[in-house]
Amino acid sequence: MKQINMFGSEFKDSQDKKYTNKIAAPIYEPTGEKPHILELCDKSKTHRLIKEIDASSLSIEEKTFLIDAARRHNVFNYEKIAEYYAHSSKEMQHLMERSALVIIDFEKAIEYGYVRLCDDIKKQYLEEYGE
Amino acid sequence: MENKDFVVFIITHGRPDKVITIKTLNKCGYTGDLYLVLDDEDKTVDQYIKNYGKDKIIVFNKKEMADKVDEGNNFDNRRTTTHARNACFDIAQKLNKRYFLVLDDDYYYFGYRYETGAKIIKNLNNVFDIILNFYKSSNIKSIAFSQGGDHIGGFSGIKLKRKAMNSFFCSIERPFNFIGQLNEDVNTYTILGSRGDLFFTFTNIQLDQKDTQKQSGGMSDAYINSGTYVKTFHSVMIHPSSIKISMMNSNNPRLHHSIKWINTTPMILNEKYKK
Repeated sequence: MKQINMFGSEFKDSQDKKYTNKIAAPIYEPTGEKPHILELCDKSKTHRLIKEIDASSLSIEEKTFLIDAARRHNVFNYEKIAEYYAHSSKEMQHLMERSALVIIDFEKAIEYGYVRLCDDIKKQYLEEYGE
Repeated sequence: MENKDFVVFIITHGRPDKVITIKTLNKCGYTGDLYLVLDDEDKTVDQYIKNYGKDKIIVFNKKEMADKVDEGNNFDNRRTTTHARNACFDIAQKLNKRYFLVLDDDYYYFGYRYETGAKIIKNLNNVFDIILNFYKSSNIKSIAFSQGGDHIGGFSGIKLKRKAMNSFFCSIERPFNFIGQLNEDVNTYTILGSRGDLFFTFTNIQLDQKDTQKQSGGMSDAYINSGTYVKTFHSVMIHPSSIKISMMNSNNPRLHHSIKWINTTPMILNEKYKK
């Protein structure tokens, strides 16, 4: 059998390139303008919970614990955070990295490693099935 | 295999006559090191030894492992695969193996997955080597193979998803703890993923396993007892800002987790954006 069965058509240079382009490395490409910092995290549920906690008759210690726990409901938007990062100062970027708000693919280790992974699997498949 | 510092662990419990994964690994050409990982509360350990030989069985102290992890509930039982998965890091260290793959005991298929469907892998040694080479190339916590559920509605395309379920390539040099008694894979890749750890599923390779609630032994009874509501709710408790419970429509419709990814894992960016 030929490769036609696996990828829908026989491999030619241009089609091979098309196949390669389909491989989507999980690298985010910032495209937009810098979002407002208030867009990065939705705290609405957290605020609702804190309001209830504040209105309660609990001790300060219990309130403090519950308020810490309420922050688990902060909803971070990591796409907007990545966009914000791309437009930020060096100092802000450094601290965002320290807090793992973005992951930097140094020397394209993930991107290149992933392309090689896909190529090697494809070769192995072709070796086993000769298509 | 090129990678001599690699071993496969199959975690299993109460199914000495049904460790399907061993046959599947053999059928797919795996010839490397392999051990069955059992807990010391398993009443069928002797039968495992009889079936597979003492040298293939590793028994860990389940209570000791349980004491090291947040089970996410107060059920006071140890019906979980969490402790076996966590024990594998120590076991690999003792075996002097740097890399290991943790598998469940009920896989009947390892295949290449493309648009036209899946084809069985004939040389799993080479495939494991290829995955390991990628794993070593960056600071990834764990890589998994895709499952049928990753391709519901058709082939998902060749991609790396930001999750790792069921099968786990790991390293003793990149240790982490699975969290929670139930749904520990989801709990782990969401909470650790949100803190910047990298977990991937490689969709070009697919495994298939018997239906969760249809096999006896293992965790099936625990799932049947509570449906999958309790299982799924563990993940909501652990990462409430991005996980909800929803209905999974498949041959066996059941409650399942629904993750909003944009709110779960930090984006990976090219270095060119760093000032």
